[in-house]
Amino acid sequence: MSYAYLFKYIIIGDTGVGKSCLLLQFTDKRFQPVHDLTIGVEFGARMITIDNKPIKLQIWDTAGQESFRSITRSYYRGAAGALLVYDITRRETFNHLASWLEDARQHANANMTIMLIGNKCDLAHRRAVSTEEGEQFAKEHGLIFMEASAKTAQNVEEAFINTAGTIYKKIQDGVFDVSNEASSYGIKVGYGGIPGPSGGRDGSSSQAGGCCS
Amino acid sequence: MKKMDLVSGYKGVVGLVFGNENSSSNDDSYVERLLDCISNGKLAEDRRNAMAELQSVVAESHTAQLALGAMGAYKLVRGAVETLVSALTPVTHAKSHKNEVQPASMNSDLLSRDEQNISLLLSLLSEDDFYVRYYTLQVLTALLANSPIRLQEAILTIPRGITRLVDMLMDREVIRNEALLLLTYLTREAEEIQKILVFEGAFEKIFSIIKEEGGSEGGVVVQDCLELLNNLLRNNASNQVLLRETIGFDSLISILKLRGSTYSFTQQKTINLLCVLETIRLLLNGGSEADPAKDVERLTNKTVLVQRKVLDHLLMLGVESQWAPVAVRCGAFRCIGDLIVGHRQNLDNLASKFLGDEPQVEPALNSILRIILRTSSIQEFIAADYVFKSFCEENTDGQKILASTLIPQPFSMTHAPLEEDVNMSFGSVVLQTSCRAASVLSYVLKDNIQSKEKALQIELESPMPSFGSPEPLLHHLVKCLALASSKKGKDGKPNTPNSYVQPIILKLLVTWLSDCPSAVHSFLASRPHLTYLVELVSNGDATVCVRGLAAMLLGECVIFNKAIESGKDAFSVVDAISQKVGLASFFLRLDEMQKSFIFSSPKPAQCHKPLTRSNTDIRAEMEDIEEEDAYEHKNEDHPMLASMFDSQFVNFIKNLKIGIRDGIVKIYSHPKSNVSVMPAELEQRKDEADVDYIKRLKSFLEKQCSEIQDLVNRNATLAEDVANTGGGGSSQTEPRPNGGSERVQIETLRRDLQETSQRIEMLRREKSNIESEASSYKTLCAKTESDLKSLSDAYNSVEEANHRWENEVKALKNGDIEAIKAEAKEEAEKESEAELGDLLVCLGQEQSKVEKLSGRLMELGEDVDGLLQGIGDDGGAPEEDEDDI
Repeated sequence: MSYAYLFKYIIIGDTGVGKSCLLLQFTDKRFQPVHDLTIGVEFGARMITIDNKPIKLQIWDTAGQESFRSITRSYYRGAAGALLVYDITRRETFNHLASWLEDARQHANANMTIMLIGNKCDLAHRRAVSTEEGEQFAKEHGLIFMEASAKTAQNVEEAFINTAGTIYKKIQDGVFDVSNEASSYGIKVGYGGIPGPSGGRDGSSSQAGGCCS
Repeated sequence: MKKMDLVSGYKGVVGLVFGNENSSSNDDSYVERLLDCISNGKLAEDRRNAMAELQSVVAESHTAQLALGAMGAYKLVRGAVETLVSALTPVTHAKSHKNEVQPASMNSDLLSRDEQNISLLLSLLSEDDFYVRYYTLQVLTALLANSPIRLQEAILTIPRGITRLVDMLMDREVIRNEALLLLTYLTREAEEIQKILVFEGAFEKIFSIIKEEGGSEGGVVVQDCLELLNNLLRNNASNQVLLRETIGFDSLISILKLRGSTYSFTQQKTINLLCVLETIRLLLNGGSEADPAKDVERLTNKTVLVQRKVLDHLLMLGVESQWAPVAVRCGAFRCIGDLIVGHRQNLDNLASKFLGDEPQVEPALNSILRIILRTSSIQEFIAADYVFKSFCEENTDGQKILASTLIPQPFSMTHAPLEEDVNMSFGSVVLQTSCRAASVLSYVLKDNIQSKEKALQIELESPMPSFGSPEPLLHHLVKCLALASSKKGKDGKPNTPNSYVQPIILKLLVTWLSDCPSAVHSFLASRPHLTYLVELVSNGDATVCVRGLAAMLLGECVIFNKAIESGKDAFSVVDAISQKVGLASFFLRLDEMQKSFIFSSPKPAQCHKPLTRSNTDIRAEMEDIEEEDAYEHKNEDHPMLASMFDSQFVNFIKNLKIGIRDGIVKIYSHPKSNVSVMPAELEQRKDEADVDYIKRLKSFLEKQCSEIQDLVNRNATLAEDVANTGGGGSSQTEPRPNGGSERVQIETLRRDLQETSQRIEMLRREKSNIESEASSYKTLCAKTESDLKSLSDAYNSVEEANHRWENEVKALKNGDIEAIKAEAKEEAEKESEAELGDLLVCLGQEQSKVEKLSGRLMELGEDVDGLLQGIGDDGGAPEEDEDDI
């Protein structure tokens, strides 16, 4: 269980774009063509390595349906990374990106790293959103962009790992005050992480909030 | 203005206290007094007025604003929140009447109706003032207690609401403890809230508090932590995965580790340990029932838990720690059972565990067996027994290993002293032990024919010389069974601890005989066994369960009986049942048992309530079911049997009952027949005279007749049986095909007879066909013969003519000229030559005709040579040589 860092991710986007399948492909390396609708949120975890450091990813896969929005919003602020997913064969899922982003900006911490993913790129013959449009949107909103396929596993690893890489770089660059408030950014420092007053200890136990008044 | 009115109104009440309100020095004290009035005012109206006054003063006066700030607005808020707490907490000393409106619940209903209120309360948790946070948590807890669902829904819709609450776990101790209680309420049966809590790092916080408080040695806070932990894990696959994959089970398992004084178990420590055992049980239970991946999750949890050495700690608690309270030991056994059941590696792991210090090490299973045999607590017996049950389930190899250790020296174990049981006679001890060993043995034998055969080989040395020579284990068990009932009679108290001995031994026997003809054979080898069993079924003093199981055993003696010797075959058992018990009441015994509470009570073994503060105290002190007063009625089964007869056994009995019913019906509809009916034998044999044939058929029919007579007799017995129970016929709901079985048999015989006569008719028809064919060949033959005759006539006349011509030529030769002679000769020769040629052709044709006909005749079996001989001689009529008809 030892890790240098632990990052919390959320996966958001319209219902049916393949969020749960992306997670399953990443954690279990398998594809499930028929997937039940996600109720509330589901959890998955995997260990990756960046810069020779073991990094644990805790990933919360959220329900895309509108009725679960109030529940899923609870996960925004505590997340270090978000995978915002749309379906390249369904135009409307791309059109809704702006509202998802607005939601994220409103509820998440400002430093959350967002990766835009155009899923189902194996279905090129049914494409309704061009790669350029995706790139353009990402550029306008300062997101990382990638087209991927949960079915063929194309770019799935990359999507999760690149996001982690970006977060890792932000830590190196001192964007987060990881020694102090890492957990409120969805990051926990484990063994071998950035040394600091609480470097070797569990992130959460170091976060002793306003104890006395 | 309205505001002025309020001020003047207020002045009316407290005006005299405050002299000149415009002086700045007085502003301070005025504000303070107002605040005091708000928090301490006796009348609600006073407080409301004071609040309004304060509002206006602060709005108008600069100094008042300063004063309020200096004194701390929090005092105000604190007062307000504290008031709310009182408003939401029922007044304990007031006796409430049932129909009276509960003010506390009504207030919380009003308050939680508006989401804004909840939002406001949550924001108060960020206040600096300790009391504000403290009382706010209490308000929220009170609200949750009164209207949980509404509050759970409201909190879910408030962004960061739960985050704030989880943060309280890191607050100072008093707040932290309040927050634990609040979160425990909040997470009860609310899956989404449970997940968000975990997302916010609740697991880490909980484990760090438990560690800080000293693990299982800690106080009630540890219990609260574990209760919250259990809420987060109960039926929640997602959270279980997170705990397993990112935090690990180590911190959980380490709570099980006994530290410090292993002999002292305070009540709190006991409760804490029970809570952790509950946590492990929840993990073994997996996610919600609806989750399709539930089984996978459970299996993974089992694997990882055992990898993290949970078995060692559980064995320590259950077996090795002599001071652990019974409840803890039982809990540990239950967990061990759940951990190993259906899990190959874990089964092997347990089988390979050894306990004790050198040199007295022994396999863990042995230690557990010894506990089963020796414990004075029924609860502990049941729990340890559960380990064996789980070990043997779908574990043929494990069963075989255990069966191979069955060596005939069981009394070395029973002789072990049972200090606690001084009040039991030696006989009861032996019976108790036998019964417990029987329970374990029934798991070892279940569905395992090899183990059953192996156990059949076991012969026991009798513990007491009076018992006589060595006897098979199976017979010994029947003896124990009989002994248990006689003991009961002697004591006059039917419900001594022995009251479950009989059912458990019967359970073993029923398990053993199932699908095992050799066990049935061994059981019936001793004649009194059948008699005893039949008596037991109809014994009015025996419990429903005992009679039912005895009936099951009898049924097994029928359906798994392969014996052919009379007196021990299935037929004689059925006869014994129908004559001594009556089929109807036999089946009634089975029905009764299935309807009894032991079989009908809900089985999902662990349907117990989650441990909460309110019920742990009772559980921690859980001791044995009181044997004296748990049940008073005679003829009732021991309640512990409900847990011994698990759902599998209940199902097994259910199916067995169907099997027995079918089996007995089958016996009646296909009785052992004295006359074997083979269709081939009904035909007339080749060289059998008609008379013999008829005789044979007659004797056959006679035999059948007598058998039908037998059947009619049996039918009469059955009819009598039916008539006897006819009054309460409704109890026998299922159709009884037995009565019709004879009719079925007669029907079969009739059909056979019909078939046979049809065959005879067919043979007759075939015979006449052959006859007519033969006669047609006869006529054909006659015709050919006449043809031949006319041909030979023609040949004769030709020869005659030739002879005449020759004579003429001779005459001519003698008398006239040579020339004429030569001419005539030439002419005659020419003529005769042509005629001869014609004749030869004709003859050739005739010859081939004859050949053809001869061939055909030969085929028909005629003596062609004989026929032709006749023709050669005189061309007379050929002798007739026809087939006999």
